[in-house]
Amino acid sequence: MDEAVSRKYPVREDMRFQRRCWALERVGWAVLALIAIAGLTGAFGNGPVSRAHASAGPLTVSYERFQRATRTSAFIFDVTHQAGAEITLHLGAPFQRNFEVTSIQPAPLRSRTGPDGIDLTFGAEAGGKSRVVIWARARSFGLATMSAASDGGAPARLRVFVYP
Amino acid sequence: MDSVIKAAVVYFALWAIIRISGRRTLGEMSAFDLVLFMIIGGSTQRAITGQDYSLTNALLLVATFIVIDIALSLVELKSPFMRRVFNGMPMILVENGTVMAARLRRARITEENILESARKLHGLERIDQIKFAILEATGVITIVPAVQAGRIEPAAAPASL
Repeated sequence: MDEAVSRKYPVREDMRFQRRCWALERVGWAVLALIAIAGLTGAFGNGPVSRAHASAGPLTVSYERFQRATRTSAFIFDVTHQAGAEITLHLGAPFQRNFEVTSIQPAPLRSRTGPDGIDLTFGAEAGGKSRVVIWARARSFGLATMSAASDGGAPARLRVFVYP
Repeated sequence: MDSVIKAAVVYFALWAIIRISGRRTLGEMSAFDLVLFMIIGGSTQRAITGQDYSLTNALLLVATFIVIDIALSLVELKSPFMRRVFNGMPMILVENGTVMAARLRRARITEENILESARKLHGLERIDQIKFAILEATGVITIVPAVQAGRIEPAAAPASL
């Protein structure tokens, strides 16, 4: 008897169902492989696809487009400014709502929190270019649109998707 | 609230992945498969508990897992179709001493696996001593020996010896 035919004895088979299961299994393998490949590219964060930049005027922010809840990642702020001045970074309220700041390098000279967000003031580098790194942990999953500005300039828009 | 949702998501995601990986993984577990399952357990465990190590959270998670498990078993009891979907179906691998090669290939089982079960369960030595070898829904291979006059066929030495 042909192997593709369902037997009734000693067990009742359903080869049509069985073949469907196998087909689904193969599709599942492909999906799992795609997930692994996507993970390598950084589609789930921490990889080339995830790198993002936003700039407005003298400010450029490098950050991760894709993040995961509870995971810490870096927001790098590069500001060009007049030599010797102080620089102020303003992070909008959505940043405060969506992220828990775990460390700021260098330490700010002053910080102020208000309903519109956080203002951080740093001593500027003599060379006219300063870099501030803020490590922050995503608090909940979903799409977050945030803004960051330096010295009252136009805000740069950061769009971050946080995986659960 | 999120504990219950997380537990449910993990339950179904793990179920889907294990089902996709095929039955082979479940029944014929090698030493490394055991290690693999422990790693899978360890990786998911942290995601479910997160930073909440409270007794309440632990009990909530356990309760959710058991409730889903019971609910699914009730569904299986009611619906033969769902039983198939959740557990798969038994399939014959050897019929009257003939290996069904295409089925073995699709199920990723070798003749060696069948012979191993035949030796373990009935002390059989060759495929032709097997009446039926069945890949059960649970993932194990069961063997029905070829019987003649109420006893297992005399194990005649192969002609080549």
